[in-house]
Amino acid sequence: MANETPPLFGKTRFLEGLIDEFLDKITEGVIVGELGLKAYLCGQEGEEICLEKLHQLIEIKRRCSELRRTIVTMLYTEMLLPDARGDVLRLLGSLFALLDDMGDDFEELMIVQPQRLPEFGADFAELTAMAIRSVQAVLVAARTFFRTPAAVREHINEVRVFEDETDKLASRIKRRIVAADLCFEQRTLLRETAAMLDALADKAENIGDDLSIFAIKRSL
Amino acid sequence: MALIVTLIFLSSGLFLGWSMGANDASNAFGTAVATRMVRFPTAAFLCSTFLIIGAVTSGSGAAEGLSQLGAINALPGAFTAALAAALTVAWMSAVGLPASTGQAVVGSIIGWNLFSGSPTDLGTLGRIAATWVVSPVLGAIFAMLLYKLLVAWISLTKPHLLSLDRNTRSGLLLAGIFGSYALGANGIGNVMGFFVEASPFRDLNLGPFEVSSVEQLFLIGAIAVAVGVYTYSRRVMMTVGDSLLTLSPLAALVVVVSHSLVLFLFSSTALESLLAGWGLPTIPLLPVSGSQAVIGSVLGIGLLQGMKGVRQIRWGVLGGIASGWITTPLIAAVIGFVLLFVVQNVFGQEVYQASRPLAVAVLAAGPAAL
Repeated sequence: MANETPPLFGKTRFLEGLIDEFLDKITEGVIVGELGLKAYLCGQEGEEICLEKLHQLIEIKRRCSELRRTIVTMLYTEMLLPDARGDVLRLLGSLFALLDDMGDDFEELMIVQPQRLPEFGADFAELTAMAIRSVQAVLVAARTFFRTPAAVREHINEVRVFEDETDKLASRIKRRIVAADLCFEQRTLLRETAAMLDALADKAENIGDDLSIFAIKRSL
Repeated sequence: MALIVTLIFLSSGLFLGWSMGANDASNAFGTAVATRMVRFPTAAFLCSTFLIIGAVTSGSGAAEGLSQLGAINALPGAFTAALAAALTVAWMSAVGLPASTGQAVVGSIIGWNLFSGSPTDLGTLGRIAATWVVSPVLGAIFAMLLYKLLVAWISLTKPHLLSLDRNTRSGLLLAGIFGSYALGANGIGNVMGFFVEASPFRDLNLGPFEVSSVEQLFLIGAIAVAVGVYTYSRRVMMTVGDSLLTLSPLAALVVVVSHSLVLFLFSSTALESLLAGWGLPTIPLLPVSGSQAVIGSVLGIGLLQGMKGVRQIRWGVLGGIASGWITTPLIAAVIGFVLLFVVQNVFGQEVYQASRPLAVAVLAAGPAAL
């Protein structure tokens, strides 16, 4: 864990380091979340592996929350980025909320534990991968925002494409679930799981939309 | 008794100093404060400190320029002319418009010339008036070029948002400090130049240091300017940095630097000597206006954005500022003329002498003060 007391000199580099660490942790959390979701939904791993990933994700969320608070405090107390401070804080807040929601959804999944059906394993793996790609694309866009705001647009476009594909996949899976010979409870739980993954991509797209506005404001 | 009378006369110079501080500090720190890159207390402290240093260390050397325009030769006349200029600038500050102290001083000298029947050098006046157009135009051109260069550099180096913020802030502070020093060095002549010949102070010997009476006079004037900065400059700073066009911190830096470049090009004897030494054509030394250079630079940034920038410029505010440039010397001349009449006929003071030039007004002590 990094020392979070800002030095007398070199505050800018220190804060840059904190923001980079925050983005690294979010990226790490998204990877862990993806592994955990796939492990459960594809039915390949035991429950203890899934729980381990969940605990890993909760720990990463805790660290991200600490980092975000430190960054917020430093940005305000040091009067840094007067014109872009609001945008930066909103971006970091949205990214944290995305990871937080992902963690909460995963936790809920582990509580509710819908039945893992092998015939839907490949579909859920594909849906999870596509939703996570949109999240990862928005994370790349967020990193780009801090150095080359003009290049953000390209990544945002990727987010939109992945979100669109996620919508299509989710819709296809939902139709298959409804058509399957399952009890009402199982159908509902599986459909909600597909909707949860779809919502993850939607959130990434929303952050992308905000980010594109922030980038326009920063364009020189 | 003579000392008290002199001090009373000195008060109008201090008032002019206060007005100048309230108005001209915006040239150095206006955009930095308006973009929230530098806090007002920090800007006021740095501006006051460095303008005092500039006034005391370099101010006494500046005694040329607009003195060709008119030579006020009686202390009550100097008092009245300074008061007229001060009232004009104070009024402009009260309505939040960045007036040019130098313009007000030019106006009050012309008022004195008209009242005393002294001739006004129309050639000098025309040359000065031309700079009121040249200065904003050059400011705009420099701002456009500098902004383009900076954007290219940023695209090449891709600094982190926070590093860019730090560098911009450092640049704004350095440019502001330099601008404040120049304001003190060049502008103090406008404020206290009227009274150089009638300084009530005596030279002081402080061991290794000797403080001349003029330096003491300029110190008092600079303190008055500093008080003006602290008490009343915020509003004009916001007009310069925010009301005309909402500036980004980077644009704010470009504005301050291009304003300084305009002043440097047209006031630097060193640059003139350098160019002459290389056999190149020299740039004429003209008393350009810092306030106008700043406004021109802000406009340049806006125009660089094309139609989007043109729409963002608040033309009504610009109209108010530009009309102020025309009305400032006129108002100062009218107020000066009326006050001279009052001082001469109501208070029985001799506001001019027919033959003896007493205080060659150090008015254009420096181009930056205009």
